[in-house]
Amino acid sequence: MQPTKITRRRFLETTAAAASVAMLPLGVIAQTKAKFRRYNVMSAGGKKALASYARGVNAMLKLPATDPRNWFRNAFTHLMDCPHGNWWFYVWHRGYLGYFEETIRNLSGDPTFAIPYWDWTTLPEIPASLFDAFLTPRDMAFEPYTGNLGRFTAFIQPPLKAHWDSLTPAQRDQLRVRGYTDFDLLWNDVTGYNPKNKFGISGNMAYAITCGARYLTRDNPKLDKKTTYDVSPFIVRSGLLPREFYSADNKLSFTSSKTPSHNTQPDQTTEFSILEGFPHNKVHNYIGGVGPVDPGPYGNMTNFLSPVDPIFFLHHSNMDRLWDVWTRKQQALKLPWLPTGQDLDTLSKEPFLFYVNAKGQPVGESKAGEYLNMDRFGYDYEPGFGEELVNPLKVMPLAEQTTPLLQGTVQNNTASVAIAPAAIQKHIDAKTTPALLARITLPRPDVTSSLTREFDVIVGAPDEVTEVDADSPFYAGTIAFFGKMPSMEGMAMDATFTVPLPSAPQAFAQALAASPDKSTPANIKIRVVPSHHPRETAPALKSVSVHAL
Amino acid sequence: MRRLAAAFVCLSFLAQQAYGAEWREVELILPRALETGETVLVEVQLGTLPRGMEIEVSTASGRELGMISPYGIRTGNAAGTYTLPIPPDVFTKGRATIRLSINQPDRTRRAPTEDEVKSVRVKIAGGM
Repeated sequence: MQPTKITRRRFLETTAAAASVAMLPLGVIAQTKAKFRRYNVMSAGGKKALASYARGVNAMLKLPATDPRNWFRNAFTHLMDCPHGNWWFYVWHRGYLGYFEETIRNLSGDPTFAIPYWDWTTLPEIPASLFDAFLTPRDMAFEPYTGNLGRFTAFIQPPLKAHWDSLTPAQRDQLRVRGYTDFDLLWNDVTGYNPKNKFGISGNMAYAITCGARYLTRDNPKLDKKTTYDVSPFIVRSGLLPREFYSADNKLSFTSSKTPSHNTQPDQTTEFSILEGFPHNKVHNYIGGVGPVDPGPYGNMTNFLSPVDPIFFLHHSNMDRLWDVWTRKQQALKLPWLPTGQDLDTLSKEPFLFYVNAKGQPVGESKAGEYLNMDRFGYDYEPGFGEELVNPLKVMPLAEQTTPLLQGTVQNNTASVAIAPAAIQKHIDAKTTPALLARITLPRPDVTSSLTREFDVIVGAPDEVTEVDADSPFYAGTIAFFGKMPSMEGMAMDATFTVPLPSAPQAFAQALAASPDKSTPANIKIRVVPSHHPRETAPALKSVSVHAL
Repeated sequence: MRRLAAAFVCLSFLAQQAYGAEWREVELILPRALETGETVLVEVQLGTLPRGMEIEVSTASGRELGMISPYGIRTGNAAGTYTLPIPPDVFTKGRATIRLSINQPDRTRRAPTEDEVKSVRVKIAGGM
């Protein structure tokens, strides 16, 4: 195991940034290098994983329904055992995704596969590739099984009943807590049949016909405005702020209610955490059509057979990622990231009895405590939204910085700063300890009209480079506006950030080439572009200067 | 680093619910002035709702504050309590009026009944 570093540098707004305070990250958290990486679905790694995922889904669809790894049988594990509205929500889904990931790894033939995540905060629409073959429940590959309810029943009910009959007493006890005292009651949730009223309720039907299995389509992939708000930076950051894994005071609690069992169903006593109650729930429901197709029947994502829709696993991968972000934020702040004392014991000893492993065998009894750490499945995440909360910040008064201050000029929203070639060379040679810092002043984004509060700083790139990723030699960091926005809507206020210039020689090559005698200052060009949303308008640069440390 | 959360609870619940109203208005009163980095949270306790029914929360001027969308609630069970962050600039002199509304299948809206939205509470939470 080799240590690795978080590569993407992010810089947060300080409340006094507009005055005279600049910021730098205080150290970098060393992490153990994981064997597998869960990539953002939009990145190159995510796209590669998605191709393997499609092969794995196809393979699971083709398995007989007697095999617990069959695509629909796997979804029934969720219907029979998933916790919602309680503090086992994150940990149970981590185990469920972990075993599923191993199954896809086996069946896809890709030994490196890890579930990509869909970062809906930065991309509030279903990625186009999730409408490709096998990756939407409306695909024809699903039609032989979900073409109509009779077909679905004939295919899945007999082996599911056989599975029910083979359950252990402990499993039956857990299902009783869930309200499933016999198989018919479970199956009623598939059909929506209400035995009390003796008729079906369309909105309660977990089965979804192929052509209606997902509301959103390739031509209509966007989350609506309200769902977009529920996944917005403001909501998600608020959900990451609590400082306790669980607190009876839910404003302090990262997780939802503490309940007697993970199978306890939400009721009037349930207190949903922000992240479960808003981004998690709303994305589920909207993809299933809550709102546009009321009163149902809805697509799969709206009910507990939601894992029938392949996007379920990308959605929950993102929820799991946010748990990881919260955990590392807690660690960085030297705060507990798990409950303490008896609470930790209670959380950890909860038995999970329904998981199935990659060989199609029951995992048997495992405990929640086995899934509190991602090491159990050996993965980590490509950084995504929220990562800026992880690194504690050092607020460094400008007085601590050494002169000289090199004031730049701004023209056509590009800053040009003249720097002595010797200072540039010193900076390049320093590599990990920057010698040159850019001080950038720009207006805070108007949250009512701007998609993003984050902006990438590009240094020394050719004009045609309009966006960069973290691996680019021209990437200096991301300015991430955080915290309270101005109280006067429409009145932009300026904020100032300090960003180390990149250490890659390519960032300075163009400017140095124009100054071959090494005595004339080289003009370094600095731009700020919207991060994640390249078509957004870049903020108007107010001023840029460079400091030599 | 911001200071640890300062908790407080308070609420005023002004129901303006005439027959046929499209929303219920609730006036929120902060228990004290916000300090730097603090967040306002509103807890909305729901009763029993039909599947697919959502509660829209907005300001009196129509600014979106969030959509409560219960998921995975067993039929007949109450839908639970949801905590929603509210941007501080919604408040003027410590007060804000929010609207709660139910979107119905026929695209019309109505005010939730007292059985559907049982209570609304405002809290102040600290930052990181």
